[in-house]
Amino acid sequence: MDDIDAMFSDLLGEMDLLTQSLGQETVPPKPLPSAEQEINLSIGFNDLNASLNELEDNDLDALMADLVADLNATEEKLAAEIQGLDVPPSSSSDQPPPPKGLSFQPASSITSSSTSPGNNNTSSSVTTPSSSNTSPLPPPPPQSAKPTMEEIEAQMKADKIKLALEKLKEAKVKKLVVKVLMNDGSSKTLMVDERQTVREVLDNLFEKTHCDGNVDWSLCETNHELQLERTFEDHENLVEPLLAWTRDSENKVLFQERKDKFEVFKNPQNFYLWKKDKKTLKDMKDKDKELLVQENFCGSSIIVPDLEGVLFLKEDGKKSWKQRLFQLRASGIYYVPKGKTKSSRDLVCYVQFDNVNVYYGKDVKNRYKAPTDFCFVLKHPQIQKESQYIKYLCCDDAWTMNLWVTGIRIAKYGASLYENFKTAERKAAVSSAIWTNRSTPSSSGPSTPTPTIKAKAPTQANGHAPKPQAGPPHLDTDNLPPPPPPLNEILPPPPPDPVLPPPPPSLTSKPSPHQQRSNNFPPPPPSMDSLPPPPPPPPMDNSEDPPDFLPPPPPPTSYSSMPPPPPPSHPASFGGNATRSLPHPSPEPEFLPPPPPDPVVLAPGAPPPPPPPPPPPVATPRAAAQPRKMPPAPPKRTTPTLTGGGGGGGGGGDFMSELMSAMKKRTDN
Amino acid sequence: MLPNMYHSTQAVSQKLSCVHISAWRKLTEKKGTSFFFFKRGDTSSKGKTTHHNLSYSREVRRLQILTVDQGNFFRVLVKTQGSNSSNCGRRKLRSMAAWDLSVTVEDLGPDAPPVTISVASDLHIGGVIVKLVEKTQIKRDWSDHALWWEQKQHWLLRTAWTLEKYGIHADARLLFIPQHKPLKLGLPNGKTLMLKACFSNPVFQTVMGICRMLNIRHPEELSLLRPVEEKKKKKDKDMAEEIYDLTEVPLSMVSRPCLYNGMPAHFADSEQMEAVYKMLSITQPPPAPEVITKQYRPASVVDKAHINGRWLDSSRCLKQQGIQENDRLWLRFKFYSFYDIDPKYDVVRLAQLYEQARWAILLEDIDCTEEEMMLFGALQYHINKVSLSEPRMLTSNTALDDLESALQSLEVKMEGESSSASDLLENMTAPELNDYLKIFRPKRLTLKGYKQYWFKFQDTSISYFKSKEESIGEPIQQINLKGCEVAPDVNVAAQKFLIRLLIPAPEGMNEVYLRCENEQQYAQWMAGCRLASKGKSLADSSFQSEIQSIRSFLAMQKTNSGSSNNAASNDESINTHSLVSPRYHKKYKPKQLTPRILDAYQNVAQLSLTDALMRFLQIWQALPDFGLSYVVVRFKGSRKDEVLGIAPNRLIRIDLGVGDVVKTWRYNNMKQWNVNWDIKQVAIEFEGNVNIAFGCITADCKIVHEFIGGYIFMSTRSREKSETLNEELFHKLTGGHEAL
Repeated sequence: MDDIDAMFSDLLGEMDLLTQSLGQETVPPKPLPSAEQEINLSIGFNDLNASLNELEDNDLDALMADLVADLNATEEKLAAEIQGLDVPPSSSSDQPPPPKGLSFQPASSITSSSTSPGNNNTSSSVTTPSSSNTSPLPPPPPQSAKPTMEEIEAQMKADKIKLALEKLKEAKVKKLVVKVLMNDGSSKTLMVDERQTVREVLDNLFEKTHCDGNVDWSLCETNHELQLERTFEDHENLVEPLLAWTRDSENKVLFQERKDKFEVFKNPQNFYLWKKDKKTLKDMKDKDKELLVQENFCGSSIIVPDLEGVLFLKEDGKKSWKQRLFQLRASGIYYVPKGKTKSSRDLVCYVQFDNVNVYYGKDVKNRYKAPTDFCFVLKHPQIQKESQYIKYLCCDDAWTMNLWVTGIRIAKYGASLYENFKTAERKAAVSSAIWTNRSTPSSSGPSTPTPTIKAKAPTQANGHAPKPQAGPPHLDTDNLPPPPPPLNEILPPPPPDPVLPPPPPSLTSKPSPHQQRSNNFPPPPPSMDSLPPPPPPPPMDNSEDPPDFLPPPPPPTSYSSMPPPPPPSHPASFGGNATRSLPHPSPEPEFLPPPPPDPVVLAPGAPPPPPPPPPPPVATPRAAAQPRKMPPAPPKRTTPTLTGGGGGGGGGGDFMSELMSAMKKRTDN
Repeated sequence: MLPNMYHSTQAVSQKLSCVHISAWRKLTEKKGTSFFFFKRGDTSSKGKTTHHNLSYSREVRRLQILTVDQGNFFRVLVKTQGSNSSNCGRRKLRSMAAWDLSVTVEDLGPDAPPVTISVASDLHIGGVIVKLVEKTQIKRDWSDHALWWEQKQHWLLRTAWTLEKYGIHADARLLFIPQHKPLKLGLPNGKTLMLKACFSNPVFQTVMGICRMLNIRHPEELSLLRPVEEKKKKKDKDMAEEIYDLTEVPLSMVSRPCLYNGMPAHFADSEQMEAVYKMLSITQPPPAPEVITKQYRPASVVDKAHINGRWLDSSRCLKQQGIQENDRLWLRFKFYSFYDIDPKYDVVRLAQLYEQARWAILLEDIDCTEEEMMLFGALQYHINKVSLSEPRMLTSNTALDDLESALQSLEVKMEGESSSASDLLENMTAPELNDYLKIFRPKRLTLKGYKQYWFKFQDTSISYFKSKEESIGEPIQQINLKGCEVAPDVNVAAQKFLIRLLIPAPEGMNEVYLRCENEQQYAQWMAGCRLASKGKSLADSSFQSEIQSIRSFLAMQKTNSGSSNNAASNDESINTHSLVSPRYHKKYKPKQLTPRILDAYQNVAQLSLTDALMRFLQIWQALPDFGLSYVVVRFKGSRKDEVLGIAPNRLIRIDLGVGDVVKTWRYNNMKQWNVNWDIKQVAIEFEGNVNIAFGCITADCKIVHEFIGGYIFMSTRSREKSETLNEELFHKLTGGHEAL
């Protein structure tokens, strides 16, 4: 015990140094938290073990990749934070991720769902809720220290505490492994963290699928039991609605193009002037459309389309359908009671939108003897089974239904909807720009054609690459806030085989030197935060079909807490001629901020400015997926891994292994 | 200058861009909108001129439309008086002769005889004034005085113009009076302000001046309204009305926009002035229910239409519209297109806008549903509460203070941060509530009623145990309240404190009742449930304030039931009838209203004052009928009266019989509109050969014209980045013949 305490206090001291450049305070060790943590760890370990065992290999690999990306991100973040410090990031680790991903689950808080339902069944793509944590908890920050009068010190202290708290919070973040069903029946598995928005998940999926990233791409939720379906809004967090699913549900998450998602911004007249005759609406000029959008979404309040009409209503818990005159207002759906006028004061509120979501109902004619099949449903997201609290409304035709559903979404989400659209448009512009770039011949050939090239990917790439949008989109991107997609590319570490230490053979064999550590890996939580991540991608690369599982997306963590990534440089590097001629210079500007120069792995004494990675090995997953066109991106992605690996070799290693063995000892006892 | 003229304006709102003026001019010229057939004496000459040219030919005294062609051709009889500028010889002759001009000087008193001075026709107005002042032998500042021509009802403001050019003869009755005179101004918040307004400039500029004095940005959105006549029965009461006096403010002060102590400099002079500014910038407490019931409420669309007949003409001056010194006018937001509201600069504007919106809702000027009314009520309650507790800092805002307070707040912030940090750490051991409560679950079909358990409220969940002693083990049940619906069921008199929870579950919503013993317990647990339903834990900073507001609502119920009259609850409590329109006074007792408003209140309780004001305005603006100004009209070819609704972006036609919107026309489809001032008809042409024409019944067609032109003007603002108001454009779009 004493050992461990001592180790921890050392570690804390180290952290202190890392987090504040002028740290002068000595840090009292906090033994208690660590002990607690350990208990938690073991619990989490078992449960996860069980749940993860049920995962398919593929899924596991993807999951692994995600986790690794997570670690990398955390590390990178930290690296950025401590940039400029002399202290080299200590590291435990270049151990390969152990096969089952167990060691990455130092879960301290386990979410409800620790068992995974029957997702071995390949046909049904069921989401497997599983839980894990990002970086393990650092012990609560050393708070004490001598109270200093000077402001700077106070500030520093505040910062430090803040940082520590952030990490604590991070450790509590829930994560899910989500299986997303593609249009072609295949599926992708990815790790989604509580804070991630649907938008971010979509971006990840764009990365993985190489689709064109147009604004219509959406994530949809289907409820099998109730035969409902809805499109997630881009600003929603994905995890929350998924947590409402029952354990044995056959609900699915789909990745598909949905025209209705942003139709209101493309053809606002159809929603706001729906009373006018169809022809004038069709002939609407773009300028008028724009004006309509401006009028309704850019004013000081969002205007909900003026909707009114007779709908069929399924009365609470009854089987009959009744006709009523309904009206949509910003505050809810109302109906005109019998014998009353349409004036506002007589309207009866049918439902308000605070606690309900709107869904499309399927097969309602058969299921509920509905007059038509054009039914929309309002229910609390947590209701998953038949209930009198689900409200069904039936329209005469599909278009009316679309009007109402869109109207309700506007009333419920308001300005967010328009924000989402604008973001999606920007993303689409960026990605089409990227595609355009990629279509230009690039220097490095696809050296390793992989066995499974998905039919889908190339066609799409081709389909969209020729878009002659290169110019404008670039302009666009220049103004953008840090575009996440490029960011993604930095993070997921693809395997730079030649550079790295022996790529550990994947699932089955663990190189013995690493083994011990990997077993021990969970206990020393602080290490993860302060250390560069292990370079785990290699196993992934070796063990699976690259095209299916492209480099994992970065964890959302990086978005929120990353120091400003270098956004402007991205477009520059994409568009710049540098990218076209030689792929590798581009990383240079990109990686200046995050990783501290890494002397260990790189060529002797490589100073920060020169591009860290030697022209990377070409066999990256992306290259595989896109044999013809070598995108500029891959080389970039290699970098973090390199530096990470380098960090692994860095000074902290000894310390960490000591710590770990101490922990090991303790657990053994 | 041209009293009767068929004026045509081209409005292609879509094309109204920053180059609007030039486009407009061009269209006018291109289409040759105005061809004039001039007749002078016997010689008739045919002149082609644009509106502009016409306006400068001041010799033209009277025009008479002889024929009006369908399109753009006019035949006009022009009578000139006096000499023509081309007629040099005659003018010289005249100028030799001196004649007597008598002018009434107001400052000499009402009974004083007119001052007579000897003038020649070529004497300019400036010269007349100098002579006049010399004659009165009063030494004072005459700079604000000007000559008013009684018969012609207009000002002689161009001092360089000669008497001859104005066409003034010995029989002219002239008044020498100040241009700025006191006016009683009814504000949107119901208070009355006395200030000096300009009687000589167009009302548009008068309003600009008033707004500058009151520190309201975007004066183009406001205008002056003749008040609705109040019934004189209760005159005694009205006498007591407090009038805030701003007449002492020197006019020169107002032009300086500098702020002092967070308010315009002229308000910082004295305590009275500060009080005036407070009245302007702080929202008024909810009015007594009797005040609401007493006020005039429009009962129908037609009633609402009548008020719009009272708007003053923006392009003519107050004096020309028969407004006298000390008359009463209302200042109101006229164009419901509020541009760029910035709470930082728009303190007064925001407060007054809120007041206008509030009264529109209380007086059912705009219809809303019951649910919306409750939300408005809750917001009013909240706004009142917050404005009492966080009065805006008026006194400590000078630069030095700013710095100091900034430093201070920085310190506080830092301390706060670190303390919140430690708070956060404590969150790991979050606060909880523990108590014996009674629970009842109707779903279980047990008739046993309420059973007592030991309850524990932690994070966002409630767990209950058999007893306190067993609370270490597994709970009987744990209920997560996130996303649930919370409703009160309280009767203070009967000591009933129920919390009704609708808890979502995969199978549906579970209904659970929690029964508390007393107010204190109820307030705490209710607050906890409210926060938890929104996903916030007890550790949330709003927990205490939530408890507070629940208690004050309880107090309201108490006082309303009349059982207690203690002073403590009085300042906190408000009669809920003050928050809703009279319709609900009849429908519900205050006691019944309280829980409903409280229910709506939970969604807004966290808002800051500014946010609450903004939310109020947003909900108001989201009402389907928002922004509609009604006018009763008769469409060409129709025999019955109908109502035209003028909105910021469209015109609607409402059938009075059905009360339904029959037709909608949007401004951006509008090609042009014309006003025939003689037959008081407005004709509008839309794209796709849609032509409509209507005569205005409850309002002058100038008012309708001004509304349409005004909204088109408002829509041009966003594109012009310049801060300065394009007054010329406004007049072009709204002025009709006056502007030309």
